[in-house]
Amino acid sequence: MKVKSRETIAALMFLAPFLIILGIFFVYACVRAVIFSFTDYNLFNTPRWVGLANYTALFREANFLRALRNSILYSIIVTTIQTIGALIIASILNAKLKGLNLFRSAYYMPSIASSVVITLIFLWMYQRRGLFNYLATQLLRYAPIILIFLGFTLVIQTVLVLYERLRGFPAKWFDPALLVTSILLSAAGTFVVSILGLVSLREVPPVDFIWLQTKQQIPSRPEFLAMPIPLIAIMIQNIFTTIPTFMLIFLAALKDVPISYYEAASLDGATAIQKFFHITVPAVQPVLFLVVALGMIGTLQMFDQVAIFGNAVPLESVITLAYFVYNRMFPGAQLPEVGLASAAAIFLALFTLTLVVLQRTIIKSEVK
Amino acid sequence: MDDAAALQSIQATTRYTSEEMRAWVARRRWALAGIIYTIMIAAAIVFVGPLLFSALSSLKTNPLEYPPGLNIPQLYPSNWIAAARLGRLGGGNPLLGGFKPGARIPFRITYFVPEDVSAELPEVIVPRRRPGAGLGAVMKIDYAADYAHVSPVMEAERAPSAISIDGERVRGEYITYSFTVSYPGEGPPIDRVPVDITSSPGVIYVSSTLTASRIERLGRVASYDNLAPGFFGYVFRNYVRVFKEARSVSTGKSLFFSWTLNSGLYAIARIITNLLFATMAGYALARFNFRGKTFIFMLVLFSQMVPGQVTFISNYLVIRDGIFGLTRLFGVRSLLNSLWGVIIGGAGSSAMIEASKVFIMKQFFESIPREVEEAAMIDGTTQLQRYWRVVFPMARPALGAVTILTFQGAWNDFFWPLVVLTSPEDIKTLPIGLLSFRQTYGAAGDWGLILSGAILSAIPVIIIFFVFQKYFLEGVSFGGSKK
Repeated sequence: MKVKSRETIAALMFLAPFLIILGIFFVYACVRAVIFSFTDYNLFNTPRWVGLANYTALFREANFLRALRNSILYSIIVTTIQTIGALIIASILNAKLKGLNLFRSAYYMPSIASSVVITLIFLWMYQRRGLFNYLATQLLRYAPIILIFLGFTLVIQTVLVLYERLRGFPAKWFDPALLVTSILLSAAGTFVVSILGLVSLREVPPVDFIWLQTKQQIPSRPEFLAMPIPLIAIMIQNIFTTIPTFMLIFLAALKDVPISYYEAASLDGATAIQKFFHITVPAVQPVLFLVVALGMIGTLQMFDQVAIFGNAVPLESVITLAYFVYNRMFPGAQLPEVGLASAAAIFLALFTLTLVVLQRTIIKSEVK
Repeated sequence: MDDAAALQSIQATTRYTSEEMRAWVARRRWALAGIIYTIMIAAAIVFVGPLLFSALSSLKTNPLEYPPGLNIPQLYPSNWIAAARLGRLGGGNPLLGGFKPGARIPFRITYFVPEDVSAELPEVIVPRRRPGAGLGAVMKIDYAADYAHVSPVMEAERAPSAISIDGERVRGEYITYSFTVSYPGEGPPIDRVPVDITSSPGVIYVSSTLTASRIERLGRVASYDNLAPGFFGYVFRNYVRVFKEARSVSTGKSLFFSWTLNSGLYAIARIITNLLFATMAGYALARFNFRGKTFIFMLVLFSQMVPGQVTFISNYLVIRDGIFGLTRLFGVRSLLNSLWGVIIGGAGSSAMIEASKVFIMKQFFESIPREVEEAAMIDGTTQLQRYWRVVFPMARPALGAVTILTFQGAWNDFFWPLVVLTSPEDIKTLPIGLLSFRQTYGAAGDWGLILSGAILSAIPVIIIFFVFQKYFLEGVSFGGSKK
C-alpha cells in the first residue's frame, strides 16, 4: 500500500505541469463554455441565466443554418473523396517498384506547408485570370485533339487485344503492353492528323468562370444539395492538401499485408479491381475508422480557409460552424455574443462526437 | 504479380514455346511498371505543381499576367548580368542596387520601326511613383524623380531588317537609342529609379539593356520599376519588397522580419515545453500505476477531439485577465497581443503541452522493455533524477518526432494566434501576418508580394521536412500503425 501511494505521488509529480495546463486551458475552458452557453454574457454585462434560449435562437439564425448546411456538405464530400483518393494512391504506391519513396515525399509536400500558404496560392490560382481558368481554356482549345487521341487509342487497343486473343494469348482489355503500344501509335496518328490540318485547335474565348465573388450554387437545386461555388473551391483545395497525409496512414497499414496474398489471388485469376476490394480494403479496415474520423473532425472544424478567403468571397457562401463561432465572439463593431457563440461551439463539439461515434459503428458493422 | 497466373493460363491453351510465353509475360511487367511510373509522375505534378508554379510566378513583376506562362525575364542570365551591372553603376551595389550621388547609368533600348512609320526620339522620364500600396505607402521616402537627371536621348545604331507580324512580312529597321540617367550633386541615397520610356506610335519594342518590367499603353510605354535594381533587386524583386515595403507604422521595422522572429520564438518555446513536460507526462502514463490513470488517459484522447472553438472563448478571457491576475506579479495586466499569451493559453493542437505529444511519448515508452531502463537505474537517486539521466536520453527517436511535429504545428498555427494577436502589426506571427498581407495587397491585385511572402514563410518547414523526412513520415503514420 505504501509502494502504491508513493507511485501515485511520483506519477502526479511527473504529470503536474501537463495536468495544470490541461486543467486550466481545457477542462476549465470546456466547463466555462457550457456555462456561458446558458447565459446572455457579452463580455461587458453580468451574465444572466437564460436556459436553452441560446440553443433555440441558433436554429432561427439564417447564418447558423447556412453554416450548418455548408459544414455538413463540406464534410461529407471532402471526407469521402479524400479517403477514396488516398486509398487509391496508397495502393498504387504500395507496388514493389524502385524509387517510389521519392514520390512519397513529393506527394507529402502540400501537407507540410501551412494552411495559409496553400490557401493564398489557391486564392491566386482561383482569380478570374488565374491558373484554373487558364487550364480550362486550354482544355477547351485542345478538346478536338484530345478526343481524336482518345478515339484512336480506343480503336487501336480494341484491334490489338482482339488480334492477341486470336493468336492465343490471354490478353485482357487493359493489357499494359498493348496499352502502351496503342498510346504511342495513337499519339503518332494524332500528330499526323493535326499536321495534315484535318483537325485544329478550337478558337475559344478565355474561360471566365468566377470562383470567388459569386453567390451562384452548383447544382442550383435541390436546395439542400446546392453548394456555393466558393465552397467548392475550398473543397478542391482541402482534398488536395489532405490526401497525402491519409495516404501515408494507409501506406503504413498496407505494408503489413504479405505480398503472397496478392500472388495467391492472381493465381486464382482475380482482377486488379477484385484484389483492391478483397485484399486492400479489408487490410486497411483497422485504420479506415481513424482516417474517416480524422477527416470528419478536420472538415467539420474547417476555419482557416474561410478566414483567409475573407472578403474575397461572400461570407454566407463559405461560412462554417467554426467560423460562425469566431464571428459571434469577435463581430467587429458589434457587441460579442458570447452566449450564442458558446452554444454554437458546444453544438459543433457534440455534433462532431456524435458523427465520429456513429461512423465507427457503421464501419464496424459494414465489414463484419 | 500476375506473372504466374498468366503463364499458367497460357500453358493451358497455347501453341507457343515457353520461351515466347515468358517474353510475352515479361513485356507486360515492363509495360505495367512504365504505366505506374507515369501515373506517379502525373500525380507528382498535381501535388507539387501548384507550389512550384507559384514559386516561379512569384519572381514575375505581375504574377497575375495572362496567359500565365513560364517565359520569365527574371530567369534569363543576360538579365542577371545586366541587373548586377546596372546596380553597381547606380548604387555601387551589384546585389541590391540603388541610386546614389554620382551615379551614371547608361541605358540602351531598341525598337523595330516599320517602313511606313516615322520614328521620333523616344521620351524618357523618371516618374514619381510609390512602391506599391498598403503598409509601405505611409512611409516617407525620397523620390529619384527629385534628384535624377536624364541626358538627351541619342540614336546609337540603325540596321535595316524585316520581321513577320501576324504571319505577314514587314520591312523596316531596328533603331537603338541610348541615354544616361545620372545623379548629379548631393542628396540622399535612394532605393529605386523607376523609368518610363515612351516611343512614337507604331514602333515596336524589341529589347533593352534590361528587359522592361512591363509594356503599357498598347506597346508605346516601356516601364521599368528600377533602372538600377542589382541582381536580387531584379530576380527576387518581390522578395526584396516583402522585407522593404511592409514596415511597422510606429517603429519603421520590417514587419516580415518581426513576424518570422515571432514565429521562430513561438515554435522554440512550444518545442521546449513539449520536450520537457509532454515526455514526462507520457512516461508517467506508460510506467506508473495509480488511481485515475485511465481517467487521465481518456482526457488525453478526448481533448484532441474537442474543437478549438469550444475552448478559445474561456482561454481568451483567461489570457485577457492575465491568467487570474497572476501576471500582475510581473507587472503585466494582460497577455493579449503578446507572444506569452499565445504560448501559454492555447488548447488542443495549440496547447503549451500538447495531449497528442503526450500520447506519442506514452506509446514510445510502452514499446521499450522496462528491463532496459531498470538495468540502467542508479541507486540512491530520486525518481525524477533517474528519469532525466537515464530514461530521457533513451527516448531520442521519439523526441525527434515530437520536436519536428511541434515545430511544424507551431510554425503553421493559425486560429489561436489569430485570437490573441490583433495589433500592432509587428506582434503577429507569420501565418496571421500573411493574412494581413492578403487583406492589404490582395484588393490591389499585388500578388507578387503575397506569393513571395507565402513562399518565404514555407521555406523553413520545407527544408526541415527534407532533412528530417523520416520523423515526419513516421510521426504521421504513428497513430495509424499502432491502433
